[in-house]
Order: sequence, then structure tokens, then C-alpha cells
Amino acid sequence: MRDDSGPPLEEDKARPPRALPPVPSAIQDEIPLSHPKKKKSRTKSTPAPASSEGLAEPVVNRRAEGSEPPAAELKEYPEAPVQRKQKKIRPPPELETSFTEKPSSPSLLRNENGMDVEPREEVVIPKPRRKAKKMQPAEPQYASELGVEDEDVITDEQSTLEHHSRFTAPTGVSQPVGKIFVEKSRRFQAADRSELIKTTENVDVSMDMKPSWTTRDVALSVHRAFRMIGLFSHGFLAGCAVWNIVVICVLAGDQFSNVSNLLQQYKPLAYPFQSLLYLLLALSTVSAFDRIDFAKTSVAIRNFLALEPTALASFLYFTALTLSLSQQMTSDRIYLYEPSVNGSLWPAEVEEPVLMPWVIVNLVVALLVGLAWLFLSYRPGMDLSEELMFFSDVDEYPERGVKASP
Amino acid sequence: MLQTSNYSLVLSLQFLLLCYDLFVNSFSELLRMAPVIQLVLFIIQDIAILFNIIIIFLMFFNTFVFQAGLVNLLFHKFKGTIILTSVYLALSISLHVWVMNVRWKDSSSFRWTNGLQTLFVFQRLAAVLYCYFYKRTAVRLGDPRFYQDSLWLRKEFMQVRR
Repeated sequence: MRDDSGPPLEEDKARPPRALPPVPSAIQDEIPLSHPKKKKSRTKSTPAPASSEGLAEPVVNRRAEGSEPPAAELKEYPEAPVQRKQKKIRPPPELETSFTEKPSSPSLLRNENGMDVEPREEVVIPKPRRKAKKMQPAEPQYASELGVEDEDVITDEQSTLEHHSRFTAPTGVSQPVGKIFVEKSRRFQAADRSELIKTTENVDVSMDMKPSWTTRDVALSVHRAFRMIGLFSHGFLAGCAVWNIVVICVLAGDQFSNVSNLLQQYKPLAYPFQSLLYLLLALSTVSAFDRIDFAKTSVAIRNFLALEPTALASFLYFTALTLSLSQQMTSDRIYLYEPSVNGSLWPAEVEEPVLMPWVIVNLVVALLVGLAWLFLSYRPGMDLSEELMFFSDVDEYPERGVKASP
Repeated sequence: MLQTSNYSLVLSLQFLLLCYDLFVNSFSELLRMAPVIQLVLFIIQDIAILFNIIIIFLMFFNTFVFQAGLVNLLFHKFKGTIILTSVYLALSISLHVWVMNVRWKDSSSFRWTNGLQTLFVFQRLAAVLYCYFYKRTAVRLGDPRFYQDSLWLRKEFMQVRR
């Protein structure tokens, strides 16, 4: 091929000022644009850019051409389009990157007159970027295709030239480049091939994860997080209540003989403990209600009548909460205990009658809370809310709501 | 369709307001060094409840069920929350007004009456129920079924039209 391309060059050199026939403006505009630089670098003997169009032509065509316009030449030699077609089928060797997956070679651009024009390198570069971005979310196997394939690397210059027919820019020896040009904020930036492969794989993983993380999952995770907090508060509350009653009994002495001592010692602790007890009881009650799905009254009542431990536990928590709240006034009274000013709030004869119900209620609260904790720990994994809210049948739930309404 | 990030944000806000509510309910009695502190805490608490009501209604309006015109269906499903939240707001405001009225001049003295104690118990019990129902509704509204067309919704719509 190279030998063949010699004579036309000489021919051109022999008559440089040849007046070219009028060429359609589209061809004139398009072709020099597509490969002026490459021509110069590859074939240094090229005399003028105007004649470069004919340089890549096969020798046979050139010799028979004479001075006829190219349009007529195309008509005369119908084998030229055939060559072009063949060329289309072949994988384009010009691409340095490995993105040659598409059967219709993307490297060949067809200009307005139907001629195949090989795009310049600047035109080829966006391809990998676009492809890489498009393929990332769906198919992870494309990540591996960012690598270099052997068949895409042109090592033999001669074989390259053979593939070229007319109007195509000759390309030199290519080698794999370690960089890939990725468009970031409207500029192409060189990125390392290996790093890009890594990040592509990472993106694939995150993209695969993302669609699965729906609002329902957020709700479910929040629900489970609260169940965990509830689980903690159940145990903590039981421990606190038991500790509280033990402290009260120890401070009051045998048969509540030393009530004044209890009041004096327990005074700073009474109201803070009452507040903490409310907080823990509220959390535990909400958590227990969650477990039996208290909002669905029918289910909750059925569970309670069936003596389901979790339903019993939530009932016990609610009772304990009510009892504890009923002692708010007494707790405040203990908190404001001042033995010196005994006149108004704590007369000596009132101490025991006021304190006894409070101690009993605290004891009952401790028992209820401890019992509830035991009941809950009997079936710790039970969570009807989660089952009914998130995993129930779609059709079933709203219908029931409408049926219950009349 | 409800975006996950938006929903997470709204849910966090709702839980933040619920946590504040629980905190004030638990420890407001301890923080009564000056009546102004309690007043501010109570005002913020009431505003928080009001905000939560507004948020939950905005979430209702955002559902496909509501936009399809099935307000009644939505009300039936969440009537517990709506009623209880309103009751709780009323109870809270009345308790706060009462407590502030009683303690404004001398916040650290013993000013309990039986009526106040009763209201206190009911308000605190309602707070727990409100917390449970509100949390449940907020979590339930994350179900994508409320934000898309489905067979049961069409069935409901037909029933309503009849």
C-alpha cells in the first residue's frame, strides 16, 4: 500500500499549481477540517492541503481520474462505496481507547454528503466519558472495559494503512495511554485509568445500593432504632425502680421507724428520680405499645385477653405510669421538705400517713416494672407493629379501616 | 413520590420535636429556679406540638391518597393521631397556663391542688399516647404505598364514588 501511494505523490509534486475542479462546498468545508494536522505529520511531502483529498485514494483511481471533478469520479468508480462499506464493518483501528463495542463503528462520522470522515482525536475523546457514565449504573461489567484491549492497540503502521481507503486520515502507531479524559465541570481532565476503574466499581456498588434504600427502609430503621432504645429503657427502668425501693426501705429502717431520716436523706433525690422515672416509663410504655401495635385496638385487646406476655407488659407499664404520676404531688412535697420549718408542709404527725402510700406506690411500681420486664424478655423479638405496618398485605389494611368506620 | 432524603429530614425534625416534648415533660418540674425558665420551656413546647401537627398535616397533603381526594380514608386511618394530638395540645396549654398562674409569684413553693394534680396526670398520660401515635403515624407515612397509585386505592375510590 505504501508503495502504491508513492506515485500519486510524485505526480502531485510534478504539477503543483494544478487548478482543482470546483468541489461542492460541503466537501471543501468538511474534509480539511477533519484531518489537516495528521496529514502534515504523517506525509510530509504533501504539497497543498487542497490536494490532500486525493492523497488517500487508491492509485488506480488516481490514475484514471485525470482532471475530472471528484463528483464524476465517484460515479465512475462504484467500487469506492463498496470499500467504504467494508471499512465500516471493520473495527476502527484508530481508537486508542477500548470503547469499540458498538458494531456500527462510532469513529467514522458521516458528513453531509454521505462521506465517511474520520473524526479527529478531540472528537473521539468524549466517547469514553459518555459511555463510561452511561454504563456505570446498570452494568458493572463495563468497569472492566475501561482497561486496554490488545486488539485496539495499533502496532503495525502498514496494516493500518491498508485499512484506510480514501478520505480517511492515516493514523500512526498507537499505544495504550494510562490516562482517560473525563469531562468534569465542562472541562476534560486527565484521570488515571486504574483509578477510574476503581471508582467506577465503587459507584456501581453505591448505585446498586441506592435504589433499595427507600422511605420505607428509613421508616423501618427508625422503628428498629427506637425498639433498641426501648429495650434498653425496659431494663434500665426495672433496675432503677428496684434500686429506688431498696434505698427507701434501707433509709426508712425496720417497720418504718425512722421516717424523718428517710425524708432528710431522700429529699434531694425525690424529684429528680420522679422525673427520670417518668422519662423511662414513657419510653418503655411507647416501646411496649409498639410491640403489640396498640393503635390497632382489636389486635391489642385480643392479645391482652389471650394473656400474651407482651400485651400484659404494656398494660403493666401503663398502670405503673399512672401510679407513678399520681405521686407527683407527694414527690414535690418530699423535695421541699424542710425540718426546721416544720409548721406548714410537714407537721410531725403527717409524715407517716403521707409517706406510707408513697412508699407503697413506689413498691408497686417497682414490682410492675420488674414484672413487665420479665414478660417482655419472655418474647423479646415480638414486634407486631413492624409486621402489620411494613409487611402486611396492601389490600387487607385499608379495607379493614373502612369496615371499622361505620 | 416522596424522596428518601426529604423524608429523612422531616422524620428527624419530628423526632427532634418529640424528644423536646418528652424532655420538657420529664424535667420541667426540676427547672423551676425562675418562673421565666418554665414559661419559655412551656411556650416552646406548645409551639413544638403545633409544629408537629402542621408537619403531619403537610405530610398528609403530600400523599397520593389525599391528592386523589380520599381525605376521608386518610382521616379514618389516622384519626387516633389527629384527635389525640389535638387533645394533647389542649391539655398542655391548659396545664401550662394553670401552672404558670399558680407559680408565677413563687415558683419554688408547694402549690399543688387536687385539680392541678388531676390535670397533670392526664396531660402526662396523653403525652405518652401522643408520642406513641405520632411516632407511629410519622413512620407509617414513609410507606411508599401512600405515594403511588395502587389497586386498593382504586377500589376505595370506586367505593367512595358509589
